[in-house]
Amino acid sequence: MDALVLLGSLAILLAIGVPVAYSLGIASIVGALWLGVPLESVMIKISSGVNSFMLLAIPFFVLAGAIMAEGGMARRLVSFAYILVGFIRGGLSLVNVLASTFFGAISGSSVADTASIGSVLIPEMAKKGYPRDFATAVTCATSVQALLIPPSHNAVIYSLAAGGTVSIGTLFLAGIIPGLLLGGTMAALCLFFAYRHRHPKGEAIPLRQALKIAMEALWGLMTIFIIMGGILSGIFTATESASIAVVWAFFVTMFIYRDYKWKDLPRLIHRTVKTVTIVMILIGFAASFGYIMTLMQLPQKMTQFLTGLSDNKYTILLIINIMLLALGTMMDMAPLILIMTPILLPLTRSLGIDPVHFGMLMIVNLGIGLITPPVGSVLFVGSAVARLKIEQVVKAMLPFYFGLLFVLLVITYVPAISLFIPWLAGMLSDRQFCVSTGLFCN
Amino acid sequence: METYLRAMDWLYRGCIWISGLAIVTMSLVIPWGVYARKVLGRGAAWPEPVAVFCMVIFTFFGAAAAYRAGSHIAVRMMVDRLPGGMQRVLAYLVDVLMIMISLFMIVYGFRLSQVIWHQSVDTLPILKVGLTYLPLPLGGIAIMLFIIERIWAGSQKSRPIVTFDNDPEPAKIDGGAI
Repeated sequence: MDALVLLGSLAILLAIGVPVAYSLGIASIVGALWLGVPLESVMIKISSGVNSFMLLAIPFFVLAGAIMAEGGMARRLVSFAYILVGFIRGGLSLVNVLASTFFGAISGSSVADTASIGSVLIPEMAKKGYPRDFATAVTCATSVQALLIPPSHNAVIYSLAAGGTVSIGTLFLAGIIPGLLLGGTMAALCLFFAYRHRHPKGEAIPLRQALKIAMEALWGLMTIFIIMGGILSGIFTATESASIAVVWAFFVTMFIYRDYKWKDLPRLIHRTVKTVTIVMILIGFAASFGYIMTLMQLPQKMTQFLTGLSDNKYTILLIINIMLLALGTMMDMAPLILIMTPILLPLTRSLGIDPVHFGMLMIVNLGIGLITPPVGSVLFVGSAVARLKIEQVVKAMLPFYFGLLFVLLVITYVPAISLFIPWLAGMLSDRQFCVSTGLFCN
Repeated sequence: METYLRAMDWLYRGCIWISGLAIVTMSLVIPWGVYARKVLGRGAAWPEPVAVFCMVIFTFFGAAAAYRAGSHIAVRMMVDRLPGGMQRVLAYLVDVLMIMISLFMIVYGFRLSQVIWHQSVDTLPILKVGLTYLPLPLGGIAIMLFIIERIWAGSQKSRPIVTFDNDPEPAKIDGGAI
């Protein structure tokens, strides 16, 4: 009954179009009234939800990514990718894949990835004879890399939703191989289409010019080394590294690249305010919602329910994946991470699934949701940049959906893909690694 | 009505400025803290609470502005498939519910802030805990004024002041994630 009141009111609020953040807030008030919990405690949860030092990392990472994406970084990353893979058959699709990989290392937003790389590469690919819908599909599908490759603010959100039991640094490291696997799979698909449909080759860039392009791109790509180096060596915390990334991004775009004007800054800040605060307030309201869920013991009930269906962890992971994919087609990523993590984590823990591994599963899964209709913000942005109808893009995307689902399955059923680097870096004990993956147990 | 809309333009501008200054401040304060600790060798405790306070300001004032700009994430799937009349009824219902939640933020936010007004933040005694809760009810007031505007004059998300940051190349979506 408790669950029906809370989740039912949330479902109704969402269905009639109340913004997600406020739906969570109203549903937790309804839940609190139902349980007879004083509303003051709901208020305290909302404000303590946004009163955390760790949370600062989110606006910082988004801002750093936005500064670099708009300050000419995207174009330079595309050029850099071009000198590496542009000369191959289907070169520009491969450039698209690789540029997204690089972009993922400066930003964790696949929407920003699609918007900035798409606006450079989709027209370029169309000019060189690639079908426009194919170019858009490649851009959208490869942008999922940005969610996995560190820095990723969705990993920060997951870490928060997991109650701070999973460190941001570990999640960042864990995302590297899944991100590259995703990129590799997309590149393989692109090569297949390139040979089948005789996509054009690009030309090789003379060495001198290539070196210059590489140097320019390296200024931006340094960000990731500053962030990871700082966190791993313990020089600074994840939050501090994010703030230093902002300063670095600002320095590089303003004093090295110099194609961003001071008068453009207010626009950038304006846009950042409009996009980031909705996620921040979502986190606040989700905290109160999580509190009511805990009072109602919903996570335990969910665990009982799902383990009642099956006691095989592979079956349960499959059920979870299908459920998340279905939710992901309708809703955005951040709210789903915030709502579903506290419900599902106790279950997966009880099955012996490492929370870091589960986080990767969740991010890839919900990332796919961003490019699937009816609601997919990456898909919307991609279609808008390409000036195509959403249906056209979705049709061209079909083979890529299969590629992405393949990656999701591999990440789900091969935990070592997510856990190997954290284990190498000593973030995960030998025992934990052995228990979760069954590898290196001696 | 024109006067009210113009007043709301000012309120919107104010929210964006406050929120924008807050994010700029926090992006400077934390690196300064690292610099002081690593280079000057004397760590200071104040950057952390100041940045967190700025973040709370950023969140609640910015979210109010974002409400006017229509950038909050909402699930439009069901609503968009309904007949026009139903859509209008539901839109009113959403506005009423939004007023309720903003009233909740205002009333309980002020009450909470008042109760703990005199406690200090441990790491920075001049900063009162009550003050750090204040952006919540204040942001609630701003949202409420924007909701009233929406009920009265319809959505204002296409006003030039709200959209001035959009690119000339429209890649804008309604209610987008980051």
